[in-house]
Amino acid sequence: MTTITLPPQPCAVPLLTCRPSAVRECGGDLLAASAQIDDLGSFVAGDARVGDWTGRGSARYHETIAPIGRRADAMSLALRSVATRVDAHADELQRLLDRRTDLEERRSHLAGEVARLRGEITGATEDDAAALQAECDLVRRDVELFDADVTTWSSDLASEETAMVQAFQRVQEAEAVERIYGGVADPADGALASKPGADATPEEVNAWWDSLTHAQQQAIIAAAPGAIGNLDGIPAGPRNAANTVALDRDLADWTHTESLGELTDDERTWLENARAADEARRNIADRVDPVTGEPIETQIYLYDPAAFDGDGAIAISAGNLDTADNVAVVVPGFGTDAESAGYQADRAATLYESSRYLDPDASNASMFWIGYDAPDNAPWDEGFDGAGVVTESMATAGGEHLADTIDGLRASRDGEPAHVTAIGHSYGSTTTGHAAHDHGIEVDEIVFVGSPGVGGDTNDAGDTGIDPEHVWAGANSRDPIADLGNHGWVHGETVLGAGLGDDPAEDEFGANRFEAESETRGGAFSFGDHSKYFDHDTESLHNISQIVNGNDDAVEHADHVYDPWYDGVQDPEHDRDPTTPATR
Amino acid sequence: MEVVPLSVGVVSQRWDDQHLDLAAAAGQISGAGTEGFTSAVSGAASRFLTQWKRHAETLGTDSEARADGLRVVIRDYVTSDEAAGLDLFLLSTYVAEQR
Repeated sequence: MTTITLPPQPCAVPLLTCRPSAVRECGGDLLAASAQIDDLGSFVAGDARVGDWTGRGSARYHETIAPIGRRADAMSLALRSVATRVDAHADELQRLLDRRTDLEERRSHLAGEVARLRGEITGATEDDAAALQAECDLVRRDVELFDADVTTWSSDLASEETAMVQAFQRVQEAEAVERIYGGVADPADGALASKPGADATPEEVNAWWDSLTHAQQQAIIAAAPGAIGNLDGIPAGPRNAANTVALDRDLADWTHTESLGELTDDERTWLENARAADEARRNIADRVDPVTGEPIETQIYLYDPAAFDGDGAIAISAGNLDTADNVAVVVPGFGTDAESAGYQADRAATLYESSRYLDPDASNASMFWIGYDAPDNAPWDEGFDGAGVVTESMATAGGEHLADTIDGLRASRDGEPAHVTAIGHSYGSTTTGHAAHDHGIEVDEIVFVGSPGVGGDTNDAGDTGIDPEHVWAGANSRDPIADLGNHGWVHGETVLGAGLGDDPAEDEFGANRFEAESETRGGAFSFGDHSKYFDHDTESLHNISQIVNGNDDAVEHADHVYDPWYDGVQDPEHDRDPTTPATR
Repeated sequence: MEVVPLSVGVVSQRWDDQHLDLAAAAGQISGAGTEGFTSAVSGAASRFLTQWKRHAETLGTDSEARADGLRVVIRDYVTSDEAAGLDLFLLSTYVAEQR
């Protein structure tokens, strides 16, 4: 009787209980705190010095502050090093978790193979023995290989844990901080000294950033986030890292000051803007990619809570702006300021979900951009009398900012250029029109939705500077804002020089009008219909998403608004039954 | 007595701001969660955070001491016989800590 030796059972894979995302948050908190300590060092070296104070008291004061500056500099470097190590630890833990998942799958497969062979041996004959033994030997080799991989994995985990513990212990005590980092130059200082001036192009800024070492880049993010967080030409990844440090630091500072009852009025306004930015990034991060099921990546592209006299500037992307195939920039309009960031984030996330759903093979990034000072007097708050005083001046200024932003997005990307779409909603379409007409933005598509006019100098789609085939207009027939644009050849602009420019949905403008009716529209004009363009399962979102994805053939076209000389403005969409195309 | 310019008062307030900011940083450090780490690391992480909270607080306390020291200088000056002029009035607003 022949004996067949079964392969051994594969060893168990040790448990790994950890949360890389929480570890990354811990690293972020430490990095933000290191930036705060770095500020003290900068303060001592600069503003803390009292140049017009002389005498013994002054000398004594300046002698006593120098050691504090040195200590702060050393401490910021030490804490930054730990924060960076914690962030790398989070990455390594994620890799170890992924490897463990693979090991578990292999173990399950091998255990199944061993069980199968055991069953086959039970009913085997002498004739089967040689073949079964050969198969057992093969599986044995696989099990041995697997066991070795588990050992390697366990060893890698232990090494990583030891390295992390040592990083914590290395600079735990103040004496160690002074010994290791006392008097050490901050890599950020030299790098910032070579930073191009304020008049540099995004290409020049990008070339400077690329010339830095990784250590210098990380140092700037931690020590001087404000130097690059909103700088066009810096890629979105480092901008996000810098703005995250700045936002977390601001939230900590002003929340603490608030708890003491010592917030100034300005600080209260800035804190509210910071909280809105925090809410916005969470609104996006709490949603999942419809294709992968993973949380949507967020990038804080613009963060300045004090901009525009406290209205604030915030732009956050759903998706990766540096790598996405399709990039959409959504420019909001009337009544927008930083405090509306949470609402705008929902729109960006919805557009991201829809564009991903409609083309799962493409990667996307959708960014809401509150990067200009928009009119506060929204018609739905103040009626048309209040909104009637709105002029194009804010759109003109905003258009320049938007053009700079798009130049920066283009210049900071490596590899294949993205398919970029600028989407102007409401007064944002006036701003987008100015950006295109006044500055010639490098986009593939322009979409105007709910437009009150695209600027007085943009008389037709060709004036945007891009092929009119790629200029689009969406106008819900019940949206009163979309009815504000100039129509025909006699209008406010002709007679009084008033208004915000031409209606892009009109036939004479020459843009492609797409279907944008809502199933929930009413029988008459309603401000509610001005806010439905980015709702899921609407004609508008479906068509905007197809445009963003470059799938122009899939866009459902609508007949244009027209204004015959013998009658008032006519909208053929008024009597068409709306549809509800799926967008998720 | 040496003249104490108004800028000393301004800088004293900036030291107070640093004190506040560093107290916030200390809170941020102590509030950083350790629950994401493995059990082999979380102890070292907790100890580090506890110690660094103290480091940041110490820096904040030192900043407050600088502000207090400057206020003593200002108080001595404005109560002296040598002090005079418009700056004296403005400087006197910095004698007490305020935002």
